[in-house]
Amino acid sequence: MDSSVAPALAVSGVRKAYGDTVALAGVDLTVAPGTILGLLGPNGAGKTTLVSIIAGLRRPDAGTVHVCGIDARREPQRARMVMGLAPQETGVYITLTVRDNLRYFAGLAGLRKKQQRDRIDEIASTLLLDTLMARQAQTLSGGERRRLHAAIALLHEPKVVLLDEPTTGADVTTRAHLLELVRTLAARGSAVVYSTHYLHEIEELQADVTFIDQGRVIASGVLKDLVMRYGTSALELSFEHTVPERLSLLPGAVVAGTSVTIPADDPAVTAAQVLPNLGAAAGLRNVEIVRPNLESVFLAVTGRRYDARTEAAA
Amino acid sequence: MNLQRIGVIIAHESRLIRRDITSVMVMLVFPIISIAFLAPAFKPALRQLGFVHANGADHVVPGQAVMAAFFVVSLVVFSFFGEHAWQTWDRVRASSATSLEIVAGKATPRVMLVVVQLTLLLIAGVVVFHMHVRGTALALAPLIIVFALCLVLLGVCVTALARTAQQANAFAFTGMVLFGALGGAFVPFGLLPGWAKPVGPVTPTYWAMRGMRSVVLGHGSFGAVVLPTAVLLGASALFAAIAAWRLRFDEAKVGWS
Repeated sequence: MDSSVAPALAVSGVRKAYGDTVALAGVDLTVAPGTILGLLGPNGAGKTTLVSIIAGLRRPDAGTVHVCGIDARREPQRARMVMGLAPQETGVYITLTVRDNLRYFAGLAGLRKKQQRDRIDEIASTLLLDTLMARQAQTLSGGERRRLHAAIALLHEPKVVLLDEPTTGADVTTRAHLLELVRTLAARGSAVVYSTHYLHEIEELQADVTFIDQGRVIASGVLKDLVMRYGTSALELSFEHTVPERLSLLPGAVVAGTSVTIPADDPAVTAAQVLPNLGAAAGLRNVEIVRPNLESVFLAVTGRRYDARTEAAA
Repeated sequence: MNLQRIGVIIAHESRLIRRDITSVMVMLVFPIISIAFLAPAFKPALRQLGFVHANGADHVVPGQAVMAAFFVVSLVVFSFFGEHAWQTWDRVRASSATSLEIVAGKATPRVMLVVVQLTLLLIAGVVVFHMHVRGTALALAPLIIVFALCLVLLGVCVTALARTAQQANAFAFTGMVLFGALGGAFVPFGLLPGWAKPVGPVTPTYWAMRGMRSVVLGHGSFGAVVLPTAVLLGASALFAAIAAWRLRFDEAKVGWS
């Protein structure tokens, strides 16, 4: 982040525990205006708790949250005025029309009639809701509801946008439009916190990255730098039944179920050394060369392989 | 308190009420059916209490109207628990509306709903069931408004105390029957068993019925409703205080699934 620019969002030393379970153990992060921060981490890492605390839905046990210079604990109403939240679960009034849903939240955000109309038309057009305005939300498809859900958060052009798993359950079109919208928001100067299970979305957005694990920030920075620093090439082998023991004993090898990931500077060379010794009885099913990417960063910082399906399902 | 935001919430809640008109219709249809069946049966009861020229409707219309007004407790409960079921609660809380603005915005249209309901039922009582208002009918206005406020705040109070929608609904319906019976809305208070009479005055229904009876049967005017209205105002303050103490906006509530 450019240190000369005042951060749109500054989180400092935020702690939160639920009984004996520590959800956040002192999280610090800053987001500059016009940037996208990808919030990544395994399930239970504390991402949603962090987003909830920033949005003022939960009180931290310690620490501060400043939104555009406003202390969110001392002046929650003022802070909320410049924030837009799309929570993880799709939240819309199903008995109301799309327009009525948008109108309500535009009104709550303090937009006057003319502003409301203009913003509703604009956001509806961007998220392909313009032909659905008179439809009751309960008649929308899952993807359409998800677009309405996101649109509500963005109506008042917030300076800080919190999107918690915005594309979960979204179809391909919805996902593409949401990602495009996030880019547009950042280009217009909003700071976007984008919590997701889908690493490739963060790569697509070229977002800055903060990895959270067990309530702590374990790595953060510009995507390219993180990949350079932590990302390693690897050889990934999948087997019919079990991973042969001698492979799991290789330096840095990580076994997950019937697959093993072996870090390697040149995975092709490693493959050439390993494969001939396996023999047919090993039941090799698949060989994959993994280039440095967020997935390999995840592996390096958490010691676990990233499985989007498992992460998203939980 | 931002009046513009409260206005936005009131408009939104009114829209939600209009979209679910069936539950509102129940507030009118249920008591009208009850009145039609019960009114003839209560003529002898009123005579027994000394109202020689009374029509059975003179008790049954206010009684059933007061009981049916209790439906609003469920409507208030649903207005909060529905948000949890639709996952909209966090969205509303993350908006710039304060807790007080949200409660005021949800309560106001439902207070108006009860005022309209009671007014329509009393008019229907006069026109259709020949209820005879002996006192000053306009004196019922402050009583009705404060009773409506009291019930809506009771609904907020029930919401604050219940964790699941089912608990809240059971509480609301038990309250309707129990308060209706003890307060003399179902059977005239004078005919209640001895053990029930000392308990009656702790219910809002008793005071609403006492005020209505003094105007409908007792030739009362504004002076006759001062005490009942004041007590109902006190009950409203009590419910508001309990709600303010117990209503936690960040508490997980289990809505309708």
